[in-house]
Amino acid sequence: MQSNRKNAVAVLLSAGALLSAAPVATLAQDIPVGHLADFSGPTADVGRPYGQGVADAIAYINRHGGVGGKKLAAETTDYSYKAPQAIAAYKSWSGRVVAIQGWGTADTEALIGFVTNDKLPYYSASYAATLTDPVGGSKADRPAPYNFFYGPSYSDYARGMVQWAADDWTKKGGKGKPKYIHMGANHPYPNSPKAAAEEYAKELGFEVLTPIQYALAPGDFTPQCLTLKQSGANYAYLGNTSGSNVAVLKACQTVGVQVQFLGNVWGMDENAMKAAGSAASNVVYPVRTSATWTDAKAPRMAMMREISKMSDASGTEYRASHYLAGVCSTLYMKESMEWAMANGGVTGENIRKGMYVRQNWVPKGAEGVCVPSTWTAQDHRSVLKFDLYQTDVKAGDGSVGDLIAKGAIQMKRIATIELPRKKEWLGW
Amino acid sequence: MAGTVALRPCGDFRTTYGGDQTVFPTRLSLAFCFLGIAALCFAPFVFSKYVLSLLIQIGYLGIAALGLNILVGFTGQISIGHAVFFGFGAFASAYFSNKLNVPVFFAIPLAGVATTAVGLLFGVPAARLKGLYLAIATLAAQFILEDFFARASWFTGGVAGTAAKSFSIFGIEMSGDQRYFYVVLAYVVILYLAATNLMRTRDGRALVALRDHYLSAEMMGINLTKYRTMSFGVSAFYAGIGGALYGHYLGFVSVEGFGIFFSIQFLAMVIIGGLGSVMGTLMGTVFMVLLPEAMGGLAKLLSGSYIDRLLSLDEGVVFLREMAIGAVIVLFLIFEPDGLAHRWRQIRAYWKLYPFSH
Repeated sequence: MQSNRKNAVAVLLSAGALLSAAPVATLAQDIPVGHLADFSGPTADVGRPYGQGVADAIAYINRHGGVGGKKLAAETTDYSYKAPQAIAAYKSWSGRVVAIQGWGTADTEALIGFVTNDKLPYYSASYAATLTDPVGGSKADRPAPYNFFYGPSYSDYARGMVQWAADDWTKKGGKGKPKYIHMGANHPYPNSPKAAAEEYAKELGFEVLTPIQYALAPGDFTPQCLTLKQSGANYAYLGNTSGSNVAVLKACQTVGVQVQFLGNVWGMDENAMKAAGSAASNVVYPVRTSATWTDAKAPRMAMMREISKMSDASGTEYRASHYLAGVCSTLYMKESMEWAMANGGVTGENIRKGMYVRQNWVPKGAEGVCVPSTWTAQDHRSVLKFDLYQTDVKAGDGSVGDLIAKGAIQMKRIATIELPRKKEWLGW
Repeated sequence: MAGTVALRPCGDFRTTYGGDQTVFPTRLSLAFCFLGIAALCFAPFVFSKYVLSLLIQIGYLGIAALGLNILVGFTGQISIGHAVFFGFGAFASAYFSNKLNVPVFFAIPLAGVATTAVGLLFGVPAARLKGLYLAIATLAAQFILEDFFARASWFTGGVAGTAAKSFSIFGIEMSGDQRYFYVVLAYVVILYLAATNLMRTRDGRALVALRDHYLSAEMMGINLTKYRTMSFGVSAFYAGIGGALYGHYLGFVSVEGFGIFFSIQFLAMVIIGGLGSVMGTLMGTVFMVLLPEAMGGLAKLLSGSYIDRLLSLDEGVVFLREMAIGAVIVLFLIFEPDGLAHRWRQIRAYWKLYPFSH
């Protein structure tokens, strides 16, 4: 066996020689961009529409003049929601890409140190509040000067929903202290707004109950629903993505739980409503665009329709709200790149500066869809205002678009929340 | 199947103990080994970052897989929880360097020692359990430690994971693929030599005796409990070092990386490479690292092609990779149970004796 040492070395060498032609085929004049997506992991239910939004927006940008004439060369990696794989992908990009469209909370938080060192703007689909403090000194562990995301943070969404719940309780004439409960997997993403929402709930006079855990991957959540029923909670925050929430909503309907569910921004969408049927009725959830695909015929959606055609030439596909969020995130990146190009070149540092130059801005063509946002060098909470929707779902057959057209799926805007920009709320 | 270690071509007799125990049977093989290592030293100047990252991956996985081969291939025990020891090493090294301010240079071997302790602890049931029962006991280790990683925030950073510092020596940062490659190469050479030599010692022979027939071994005076537990310890040490190297390479350690699938992959590496073969382990690792890359390339080629449309693979294309790994393990078990090492010996013998193979 010992004599095989040299052989193994030979194998190593030949393998290396085979692979030394690295598979990188970006043109020198292109702008390389990294794109991390979850197409096959536990959050793929919402990762697919969002990732498609990013990909379509990039294709659309490239077809319409690119960024100042240069094309965006996106390298997409499906990392299955595993932080180590995301970091491996990041390492393979570093030194080449100038910006990254990212995804989950665990990986984005893990990459904070890396992107800060490498000065790479990182547009995550994680809205964790820990990413909003670019300077440090807040409750966040460390500053995240190169992290951006479109829309309010998870914590602010949760605070907004707690605020709505408090109003709802008085409006309905509830007696005594309302009970609030956090539900979600033990994972950085569902955990992210837990402390913030619970503290705010206490402040508003809620009784906060012991959280209930349920997995990110859908499963049988009957035990969790029984616990929820026993707890006597009035308002339950669902911290997971929609696929997992469908499972929990269905189980809770079977068990007969009477709770007002509050879905997080990734926790409820049109596809989930179709999948869960009537179990998804009455859920309150935030929407981070000024329009949903139901407004697709409205003139302000013209560009979104064109973008959607990049992967659906027929133009008939229904796009869930996550798709639009992916498009918005990409368009903000594109416009700050344009600023960078005009002001010293497309580098990570300049793209970051490009994010700060305007106030309350919306990318061109996305007016009425992407919410006006402001990033400053001291505060990356770009938006503190959002709409709350409530679902009304009846069981039915057909595609999501059909069900909405038939009225089996209805989404009603029930409130617009505006939170104060409190300094002590920054970073958590 | 493990008996293949002793297989030699006809007429190849050893007449001295020295000749029987030598690491390099001929001067040429010694020269080739040195030449190979020297050639690898130039790898960072020749290969792209992508190839280097694969080589580094082969390095740290190969070290951990060697640990498993000592346990499974040489001692005849079984473990389907190897990934958590790999993970423990990564977390321990990150913990030592972050919280206790131990330089990474020392934190890596220290993590190996800490993992050995954990391995010995979980190896205790091995003294009494055999076969399937032992497999289930190690499965318990997998779940207990995985849960520990997710909850012990003080040690692992909980579900959010923990950052790991980069390797430095005499104030020189060994971060980046080009420099870190040498760190991994050094560890591979040292630990592979150590394992080869372990098998030449009294203890190593005791392990092999234990594997071949434990009753006979016990009658010869080998302390079964001691050696079975020791084997777990050594195996965990290798896993710990591999994990620590991985942690400092990636710069981040997260509990998600050490699931049961990863444990199975380690088993696949040693089965494909050859149970009871030090060099086979490295071959198996090379195979398992390159297979997903090759399948990934194939999936990319297939996507959008005629075959893709015909079979309506669509999103299934990316899963070809996972399926291929499963299929390869099954095929190896059926057609080449002795692993790549055995196949390689046969190829070599064929050329050496050509055209008169018998």
